[in-house]
Amino acid sequence: MRRGGQIWAWFWMVLGVLYFFLPLLATFLFSLRAKKGVLSFLAYQNILTDPDFTHSFSSSIVWAVFTIIVGILIFVPTAYLIRLRLPRFRTPVEFITLLPFVIPVIVYVFSLVRTFSQPPLLIVDSPALLIAAYTVVSMPYMYSAIDTGLRAIDVRTLTEAGQSLGASWATILFRIILPNIRVAILSGAFISFAIVMGELILAQYLVKPAFAPYMAFLMQQKAYEPAALAIVSFALTWACMGVIQLVGRGRGEAQIAAGH
Amino acid sequence: MTHLALTDISKQYAGTAVVQDFNLDVKKSEFVSFLGPSGCGKTTTLRMIAGFEIPTTGRVTLDDADITNKAPNQRNVGMVFQAYALFPNMTVAQNIGFGMQIHKESKSAIKQRVEEMLALIHLEAKGNSYPNQLSGGQQQRVALARALANRPQVLLLDEPLSALDAKIRVQLRAEIRAIQKKLGITAIYVTHDQEEALSISDRIVVMSGGKIEQVGTPFQIYNFPETSFVANFVGTLNTVRAEVLDPAKQLLRVDGVELEAAEGLADKKRGDQITIAIRPERIQFASLEKKANVFECTIENITFLGSIVRVQVLTGSNKLFLDTFNNPFLELPKIGAKEKITCSKEAVLVLQ
Repeated sequence: MRRGGQIWAWFWMVLGVLYFFLPLLATFLFSLRAKKGVLSFLAYQNILTDPDFTHSFSSSIVWAVFTIIVGILIFVPTAYLIRLRLPRFRTPVEFITLLPFVIPVIVYVFSLVRTFSQPPLLIVDSPALLIAAYTVVSMPYMYSAIDTGLRAIDVRTLTEAGQSLGASWATILFRIILPNIRVAILSGAFISFAIVMGELILAQYLVKPAFAPYMAFLMQQKAYEPAALAIVSFALTWACMGVIQLVGRGRGEAQIAAGH
Repeated sequence: MTHLALTDISKQYAGTAVVQDFNLDVKKSEFVSFLGPSGCGKTTTLRMIAGFEIPTTGRVTLDDADITNKAPNQRNVGMVFQAYALFPNMTVAQNIGFGMQIHKESKSAIKQRVEEMLALIHLEAKGNSYPNQLSGGQQQRVALARALANRPQVLLLDEPLSALDAKIRVQLRAEIRAIQKKLGITAIYVTHDQEEALSISDRIVVMSGGKIEQVGTPFQIYNFPETSFVANFVGTLNTVRAEVLDPAKQLLRVDGVELEAAEGLADKKRGDQITIAIRPERIQFASLEKKANVFECTIENITFLGSIVRVQVLTGSNKLFLDTFNNPFLELPKIGAKEKITCSKEAVLVLQ
């Protein structure tokens, strides 16, 4: 019975791996066929030497970094305050943070363009609007990661301990709370990073250089380079996930070692 | 001279009174415990001293300065929490030095004070350890050192030993008391453990339903409880209904037997029904020649408590406990046996 169960477990696992990895493998193999008759990294070379790639990629990294900073500055104090002082607002705030899942990005971007393209709020050309929009789109992940981190520590007692030692709110937040939810913030940050790198509609409609619109543009123009770009994009996302795992595991191991 | 004063303190949450008419003066270097069951308001009162709660009415003064509405980080009050509350991201030394760092003291002063504090709690070798590398008892000692490092005017301890096992608890409470005496710091200690409060305190404030029931030394609280709540809450106590026979002669009747009290009946009238209390250790088996305050009883149960043997007896309608020291060479009475018990008139406490 147990052996039969194991066989089925392996069967489903192999099926899952094939389902996810076959298309990726096919894309990778396709991306190597830019030079006729041989397998080569020509498509990758073409991308990496394309100034548009460098520009769009570096722009997206800038947007992602600012999105993460703004997200941390807004969501850490909010989640902290709600956990500490305003628990009755927890449900409505959680509902608001989940709205980006419900409202399609295309609807959101049209409302942004409509609202901010006329005086007195004529800021549709500002990069700040794009960063604000990215912050909203990544909000469900960032907020829930931070909230989960706060749930894992005794926020109230740590805060009161800090206060009784003379610390101000800012000191408590930056020197006690933030370092203790570092892993949660990092995981929220990397997910936000992956979202910004892959987000197409916002940058396209707000007419800003970004990685995803460049990829979409390339798909319409060329054959092998978009496949190579898809692999680069995957590698980037996995690298982010890997860093989250590494950071998380490092802390976990330290705690386990400390427990002995 | 009063060091810390709580005057007419009350605290209400949504119209419900959690603390009422609380008045207490604490002298410098005094160790005062707030003792009471869960929900009696002891922690709320402590939190009002710390500044985490603002009293609905009343004043908190420290060295004659009104601190009622001061923020917690503006009061020079140290606090030790039940859950230790050490900062997990900092080492033991960084935890202890945190308050001094906040107060912008020099690095050398912080280093010196941290070393002093580590020596005080006998954890000199643990300065570079993280909190999760320490046992519960060690963590609480670090929390104590951290609270003391700032040289606070008052040290507040909120059930600091509740999360520890029994043996460590006894050892650590003795350490806390020794450190408090050594530093001469004023300490307020919240506990629901009567043994802890009796063993550690200069004075105990027994609380119930948000009010003070009695304030006194451990000796007074244990031996002369003023209310039936205190009598029942602190220690094991036999409470018995009695009829006043002769207030002038301090005579009562219990289960048809005359019982003489030492005091407490002066304001009573003949025929009044009152409650009296007798500690189990003040009841003995009666010798043959003893005639006064003697009750016949039946042995109902015997419980071995280590150094003490607790015997439950039935006298008429009352069940009483009687404690005797454990003596392995003396035979204990058998369950169901008829015996006589007695107590001195001083052992009879008339409750208000």
